[in-house]
Amino acid sequence: MRPENYEAQSQPPSYDYELNIGPNHPGIEGNYAFKLRLNGDRVIAGRADAGYLHRGFEKLMEGRLWIQNLAITPRICVPDPVPMEVSYCLAVEDLCGLEVPERAQWLRVMQLELSRIAAHFFIFGGHAATTGMYTPMFWGIADRDLILDLFEEMTGGRVYHIYNIPGGVRRDLPDGFGERVTHTLNYLESRLPDYDNLLFTNQVFVHRARGCGPISQQQALEWGVTGPNLRATGLKFDVRRDDPYLVYDQLEFEIPTEDPGDAWARALVRRRELKESIRIIRQVVARLPTLAGPIRCPIPNPLAWNVPAGSTYTRVESSKGELAWYVVSDGGERPYRTHVRGPSQMHAVQVLEQLAIGCRIEDVAQIMFSLDACPPEVDR
Amino acid sequence: MIEGHQGSYDRIKSKTSLKEVLEVACSFEASARDFYRDLAPKVSKNIRWLAEDLAAEEQSHYDLLRGLADHPDIDEPIAVEVQTPANNTRFSDAIHLPDLGPQPDDQAVLQYAMGREHIAMEHYQSLAEGTAPGPIRDLFVYLANEETKHKAELEKLYYETVHSGGV
Amino acid sequence: MRDIDHQDRGGLLGPLKNLSFFARQPITEPLGPRPASANYRGFHLNDWDLCIGCSTCQKVCDNAAITMVRVPGLPEDPVKGIRNLRPAIDYGRCCWCALCVDLCPTGSIALSREYVHTCLDSELDSYFILPDARGIHGTPYPKGWAKSTDADLVALDRQPMTEQAPAERIDNFAEIVAGYDANQALIEASRCVQCGMCHDACPTHMHAPEYIRAIWNGDLEGAVREIYRTNPFAHTCGRVCTHRCETACSVGHRGAPIAIRWLKRYAMDAVDHERVKQIAAEGRADFISGKRVAIVGAGPAGLTAAFDLVRQGHDVTVLEAQAQGGGMVRYGIPDYRMPADRLDRDLDVITSLGVKIRYNTRVGVDLTMERLRAEYDAVMLGVGLWMGRSTRVPGADQAGVKRAVDLLRAVAAGESIEVPQSAVIIGGGNVAMDIARTLARLQQQHYGEVRITLTALEDLDHFLADADEIREAREEGVQILDARGPQEILMREGQVAGLRTWGVRSIFDQAGRFAPSYDPADEQIHVGDLVVEAIGQAADVALLGEALTEVLQWHRGRLQVDGQGRTNLEWLWAAGDMVRGPDVVSAVADGHRVADSIHAYLSVQEHAP
Repeated sequence: MRPENYEAQSQPPSYDYELNIGPNHPGIEGNYAFKLRLNGDRVIAGRADAGYLHRGFEKLMEGRLWIQNLAITPRICVPDPVPMEVSYCLAVEDLCGLEVPERAQWLRVMQLELSRIAAHFFIFGGHAATTGMYTPMFWGIADRDLILDLFEEMTGGRVYHIYNIPGGVRRDLPDGFGERVTHTLNYLESRLPDYDNLLFTNQVFVHRARGCGPISQQQALEWGVTGPNLRATGLKFDVRRDDPYLVYDQLEFEIPTEDPGDAWARALVRRRELKESIRIIRQVVARLPTLAGPIRCPIPNPLAWNVPAGSTYTRVESSKGELAWYVVSDGGERPYRTHVRGPSQMHAVQVLEQLAIGCRIEDVAQIMFSLDACPPEVDR
Repeated sequence: MIEGHQGSYDRIKSKTSLKEVLEVACSFEASARDFYRDLAPKVSKNIRWLAEDLAAEEQSHYDLLRGLADHPDIDEPIAVEVQTPANNTRFSDAIHLPDLGPQPDDQAVLQYAMGREHIAMEHYQSLAEGTAPGPIRDLFVYLANEETKHKAELEKLYYETVHSGGV
Repeated sequence: MRDIDHQDRGGLLGPLKNLSFFARQPITEPLGPRPASANYRGFHLNDWDLCIGCSTCQKVCDNAAITMVRVPGLPEDPVKGIRNLRPAIDYGRCCWCALCVDLCPTGSIALSREYVHTCLDSELDSYFILPDARGIHGTPYPKGWAKSTDADLVALDRQPMTEQAPAERIDNFAEIVAGYDANQALIEASRCVQCGMCHDACPTHMHAPEYIRAIWNGDLEGAVREIYRTNPFAHTCGRVCTHRCETACSVGHRGAPIAIRWLKRYAMDAVDHERVKQIAAEGRADFISGKRVAIVGAGPAGLTAAFDLVRQGHDVTVLEAQAQGGGMVRYGIPDYRMPADRLDRDLDVITSLGVKIRYNTRVGVDLTMERLRAEYDAVMLGVGLWMGRSTRVPGADQAGVKRAVDLLRAVAAGESIEVPQSAVIIGGGNVAMDIARTLARLQQQHYGEVRITLTALEDLDHFLADADEIREAREEGVQILDARGPQEILMREGQVAGLRTWGVRSIFDQAGRFAPSYDPADEQIHVGDLVVEAIGQAADVALLGEALTEVLQWHRGRLQVDGQGRTNLEWLWAAGDMVRGPDVVSAVADGHRVADSIHAYLSVQEHAP
């Protein structure tokens, strides 16, 4: 515990007490500390203490060439690394005026949506585990692994794909990849009833999740909530639809919303989004064979590449919310400044602190997971 | 005794013993060596190396033939040579023998040397053709091949010297 | 969308749904090793036969995971651009991004499909490997992520150089090459991976990576500064250098080498001439040494030495037999390749530093070597190869048979020559092409028609001339006949009428040395009012005089000099074409070595009494 975060309270002893969640607790999504002040089993106040996963990415990137930063970007958010890569590349492409070929844009969409599915399976498992249901957690990780197999084939890496490069992507698809994607999607879609039975319609989960950590739409907008957390409050906002990038304006998909804004609503929104992502990928698989052409546009020699001076803010919809990069170039071969607008930073800090007040101790982890707050993305 | 002179041709042709043929060939090489040795001080120092190298070459040819002549059993080396004849090019055919003149340059010396080798080669060849098959004929063929090889070496040196520096 | 009904409490038999799981496969992952995908980014492989040790992988690695290690015994050839360095990978740092693979110029490095390595704490060093084709454990895993056209980040294509078309250039001597504009130069300079092979291969070790980088940075004065560190014949080499740098360029192993020569041309043309002079003067000594040096021949070797020596504070006088300086660069290379006004700039930089050149002064005629010995503290010879060789076939001594060097000199000096309506050139080197193309232009100007036949002993595959020269000569109407041996100059009514040649059957013997054999049955006559011999050149050393010639040491016809260009006489040096054969940049390199040697000699000449 850092001294500055310790506030001595003048209360009679053992009336209120403090407990730490984290920083190495399995009940959180990554190294993160959340200090609770409790009264009995009710939380009176919470204090988020981020920084355990601070690796200094934004500063590291200032010291590396534009191309070298490709290896760093996916590591900022581990469960859903692709939006990091893509939005960094979109930023550089914007500054340089690069035109990404059409085929590459569809490949990026496939990669983004597969990553979304993988992240959602991951969070189903996590959310279920916070309610004591560990089977969906193992299921989630195992089913996600099938997607990682697809990534391994597509990009050469399972988790850190380093597949995107300013101008496009680095590899075209192996032969027969479309069939394997379809096969995996079919399997995953067939698994959803199992998840529904074991988790989403399971009364244990329903009773735990409903009413837990509610956010009103007003609060969501004030607090900077984005992504499924925002859609769970009834507001239909998705960067893919409202500020389309790549080829999302050519794809058919629904934006699911729910009303209550509680953990239950958030879980449902993700569950429905997963199905929509499967739908998107099927469209991509159908479309790709008709798209010939290069998978990236020419870029200068990476060792001698000055990106024109300027700044840009490029955003994508990650599984957690609006993820964006703010990149400033001074016309040199290294970024002058990069900043990640990570959705989890709002969710894991101020939103979590607010929602924790008044809830029971066993629900704190559930709130955090239901917000899909990802500490690596908070700390960078 | 000057090589190429008709008298020498007759001199060799009149010989019948292998050893005697070799003796005459030795004296031819010696006379060539002496020629180059005399030439060396007469040419400018920057091309003196040519005359000296040629003299040394002729000396080595002389030593080879001397060794054969003195060897008790001289059939084998010659037999081997007869089976593998050297390439006979016509490069030096196209080199026209000049008058050496008072201050010959490197090109003139080389042209002259190639001409001498060529004439010697022709002589040994015609001797071979005019001799019945046997060890003496084999010897003439061997000597002709040796001169051809010498001439070929000079042709290469001529090319490197004259056709060099022309980018 | 009420497909997930949370109010559905299920039936009494709900738990029995679990029984269906007995029939299913368990959801699990196998424990045994599984093969990785075809593109997998696993441990490194490196084909040591392809790898040239250029260190580009080390440069692009974002985690500084690569260290270049010298492996003795591996081939090392600066001329070809090969180093005996190989990359070693530290897997404590490597993140398997494969940028090293994508940026490797030769495509030697790849990532394999192997991904498992375990060791004890005491063996942690095993995570630092020197990969070869056998991989980290010596077991044959196939390649995973390897060089592919999709992901290749090496800039393989060169910026094209605009040149005048044959129809435009045939009747004039204007420079054929247009040069790069600023944008082209920037893009071309950006292709460089800064490996330094060019620097190693250059005879005078020009700082090419530095000036390429300066051009890319837009710092053209900086580029000129880097160029002048090693080469005062910058305009010249930027046009006519034999570019060993480009032969060694690592990008050139699979793609087009960086156009290092054209970039030098660009930088030199882009900076104001007065500014170039200022840059060239930077760093010169601010004192006079009081020593006097005489240099015979105002060519690249002599003037480079003069440039260095005058900057070191010595008094330098150059004696030049011709009316202008530059040597073979002016009098041997035609204007369409090397414009005289650009050479004048190179010379102006040198003379502006205080080098004195006495033109129309022929040593051996106007003054003797003995006098130079007496009046100067050191003497350098850079007299070049100005004597054209002759085939000496019958008729070669006729008036209508000339040597290429003599004709080229006359044209460059602005003397009027009698332009033949038809001409035959003997020779297959660059000088032969130069005279052929010069005469072609003169013919076009005078008669409106080109009639030139060029014959050479070599067959086309072995012509000594650059491929570009041969192609351009053909485009300009020169008829090139290879594998022909000259036999005789043909005369008619006392005038040269042509050349008789025999076909050459074979050029090289089994040992690979030149030994042509002719076919007299294959005889041709080539018509020409003028026959030009461009078969070879020799140094005219008559200027030394007999006494000096006897005292000096010679090696196979050339002055014998040590590694610094010094003869056996302590006051006499020699450099350039006359010592090592024709090449401008080698002459420049020689000039530097001689200047260093002379400077060292002059610096210790005085002894305390």
